Amino acid sequence: MANMGHNNLNAKLVLLGDMGAGKSSLVIRFVKGQFLEFQESTIGAAFFSQTVAVNNATVKFEIWDTAGQERYHSLAPMYYRGAAAAIIVYDISSTDSFARAKKWVQELQKQGNPNMVMALAGNKADLEDKRKVTAEEARVYAEENGLFFVETSAKTAVNVNEIFYEIAKRLPRAQPTQNPAGMVLVDRPAEGSRTASCCS
Amino acid sequence: MPSDTNSSSSSLSSDSEFHSQNSNQDLNPNLNPDSIDLSLDAIENQLVSISMSSHPETAPFDLEEDQSEPTEQLTTMIAQMNGEIGEEVVVDEIEEEEEDKSTMKAETSRLFKESSSEVWRNNSEEEEAMSPSSSGYAGERGSSGDAATVGNEIDDDDDDDAEDEIDEAWNYGVSESQEQWAPQKRNLDEDDTSISWRKRKKHFFILSHSGKPIYSRYGDEHKLAGFSATLQAIISFVENGYIACSSSFVIISSFCFPIRLYICLLHCFLFRGDRVKLVRAGKHQVVFLVKGPIYLVCISCTEEPYESLRGQLELLYGQMILILTKSVNRCFEKDPKFDMTHLLGGTDVVFSSLIHSFSWNPSTFLHAYTCLPLAYATRQAAGLILQDTADSGVLFAILMCRHKVISLVSAQKASLHPDDVLLLSNFVMSSESFRTSESFSPICLPRYNPMAFLYAYVHYFNVDTYLLLLTTSSDAFFHLKDCRIRIESVLLKSNVLSEVQRSMVDGGMRVEDLSIEPASIMGTMSSHLGQAGPAADSPGRIREAFFGIGGPAGLWHFMYRSINLDQYVSSEFSSPINSLRQQKRLYRAYQKFFSSMHDKGNGPHKTQFRRDENYVLLCWVTEEFELYAAFDPLAEKALAIKTCNRVRQWVKAVENDIFLLGASPFSW
Ligand SMILES: Nc1nc2c(ncn2[C@@H]2O[C@H](COP(=O)(O)OP(=O)(O)O)[C@@H](O)[C@H]2O)c(=O)[nH]1
Ligand SMILES: [Mg+2]
Repeated sequence: MANMGHNNLNAKLVLLGDMGAGKSSLVIRFVKGQFLEFQESTIGAAFFSQTVAVNNATVKFEIWDTAGQERYHSLAPMYYRGAAAAIIVYDISSTDSFARAKKWVQELQKQGNPNMVMALAGNKADLEDKRKVTAEEARVYAEENGLFFVETSAKTAVNVNEIFYEIAKRLPRAQPTQNPAGMVLVDRPAEGSRTASCCS
Repeated sequence: MPSDTNSSSSSLSSDSEFHSQNSNQDLNPNLNPDSIDLSLDAIENQLVSISMSSHPETAPFDLEEDQSEPTEQLTTMIAQMNGEIGEEVVVDEIEEEEEDKSTMKAETSRLFKESSSEVWRNNSEEEEAMSPSSSGYAGERGSSGDAATVGNEIDDDDDDDAEDEIDEAWNYGVSESQEQWAPQKRNLDEDDTSISWRKRKKHFFILSHSGKPIYSRYGDEHKLAGFSATLQAIISFVENGYIACSSSFVIISSFCFPIRLYICLLHCFLFRGDRVKLVRAGKHQVVFLVKGPIYLVCISCTEEPYESLRGQLELLYGQMILILTKSVNRCFEKDPKFDMTHLLGGTDVVFSSLIHSFSWNPSTFLHAYTCLPLAYATRQAAGLILQDTADSGVLFAILMCRHKVISLVSAQKASLHPDDVLLLSNFVMSSESFRTSESFSPICLPRYNPMAFLYAYVHYFNVDTYLLLLTTSSDAFFHLKDCRIRIESVLLKSNVLSEVQRSMVDGGMRVEDLSIEPASIMGTMSSHLGQAGPAADSPGRIREAFFGIGGPAGLWHFMYRSINLDQYVSSEFSSPINSLRQQKRLYRAYQKFFSSMHDKGNGPHKTQFRRDENYVLLCWVTEEFELYAAFDPLAEKALAIKTCNRVRQWVKAVENDIFLLGASPFSW
């Protein structure tokens, strides 16, 4: 890849959603290719990074996997502030988690970065028999709110990499001038040559 | 025991001596005129007499039956150093008030009548079956309640999985799987009507002043709502002054869910809480701790001293503050019925792991932390690089291996309390998510500032070794990440991490390595903290040879707490106490010993010598240190004392390797 030096982007991505929706599972599937049946609750926020290559460029995601517990709610801006992208996760077998996802969308629309790429992930798609939220319902909501939507399964890996690649593609790239705040994408070529994950 | 009567030839140190007293004086608590019988029958008799408006203080009381266990009878108490006759510390004793209690009596019986029907409404049929009369307590007489609780309580800390943890935690052995750190899950299908729930040996509850359950060790707190309401009703009596405890707690016992508890409380009212230090009867104790809108309750039949249980509730509260800060109180100001369980989502495991550590981690009652043994230079190398980060805006930098400190430094003027170290390491180790990836989490150090969050960067270097960098800035993550990268490379270069691994394999001080010959102790300082010799080379085989022996003079184990450093060191378990059950029993014995040494203002210099069928226990407290040692029950007293002197010298000789010494400006 010839232009590697030029097209390396660092993008801060935050995962939000109800506790238990599968945020950590999605990240771990994406970063480590693993799935744990008994994923422990996240405390505070866990940091991961993973690099993906799209269209002649690499995007290094700096991922904040937040805890989703209420006690950290007031601290959430600390993690989504300056984020280029957000994945709002709900569990298709829980209407509560879908309601909570909508709340997060609202909050990001109000407080978040206006250029943020937002994805809605209906996770646990493998639990078809326990489904409470239809794909249609979620798709309509996503369209209305300008999110892109996909159903995922951290367990079976369906659509997990895809959602991150899709975000990487949608990130406005190499246009720092259009982001006067300079927070959306930080071009750090010096770090671009590092390999995928800094945290093993 | 005749052999215990004298120790004249031996002295513990230049500044202290045992003045032995034969303590065969009758310590039978039943003869204590001030003691009170709180057995159920007696309580009920009391209640009857109260309602008859007689004078309860004239009724004859005797103390609980537990006191007469064989272990207690064998107890030998020797002597205070200052020459006073050793006093058995009968904690289970309350003093009577002379003043007239008639108003109180009237109040309590009125309250009792008013609330008896209400309070119990939520409780199970089983409870009602035991109380055929509507007044609740009258039919409770007899043993039906006791039968449910006496005999075969479920003591989780004796469960297999729990014991693995004890083993893992006490020993420095090669690291096993991390799963061991996950304490047993709570039994969510249990509620207060299940037999298994009632048989648990030690319950912990947190509830709000409006009676909303916040946490329960067993069962789902929501299913326990009725029980919580009961506790809340009781506590509100406490608050309204019927038990006027200045320190805002009271202990009661002779307990059976929940009616008996209630009876006991009523009983306590009559003796005016401010004088009631500890009331126990039957098997149960109940301890309350009221912290603003939050009530913490422990119900236990583990025979632990009241001070210990109270300390455990304090720690439990501290753990909650660590997660939420004290500003959670404001939620209750806005809405007294505020439901706090949501705020604690996902932290059950933090509490259950803390509660579990109450039965194996001496830090929980010593209020001191312990260090991983490391060569002085190695620990210093770690301290230096941590100090670097502290100079760059990090408030506290802590490097730990499981629950042991490798090194810690703090920014100037900041100081870290040992309890905060305990709560912090418990929080980090019990939350599996910290192992998955580096994390950045708000946490509050209750002893540092209970009102505000700090931000903790947490990173595991390997399964057991982790770094905590605490800061006041919520934006500091990337700075802290850089700090960690620097620290990691220095730790690797200077072999600190490999030394840490080695120390875990080698273990700490072994009583078998203690030499009784003065000359050799100083001479040989191997990396194993003991005498160079075969024991260090092939510990496994040698220990087999030592089976049933332990160290010199029958020394089995010791624990040394440095008062200035707020650190302790405890020896490895020798073969005579290699079973987990024995280790736990020893732990409890120390715990008991500790609180008996601390609950009376006898001045700083104290010694105690006790013999029972399990051990000889020796405790020696000065202004500088506390030494607790366990010997073979047949150990000779004079020799045991001599051995304690040797232990002290040994600790002194290796203190550079077992303690963190003045690396940075601490001032706790
Ligand atoms: N069946 C199924 N279970 C999942 C999936 N993703 C996560 N889980 C489970 O859901 C639980 C909560 O997942 P976790 O990643 O901790 O959720 P988080 O709180 O949002 O981080 C865990 O027990 C996971 O194993 C999925 O795609 N399918
Ligand atoms: Mg998570």
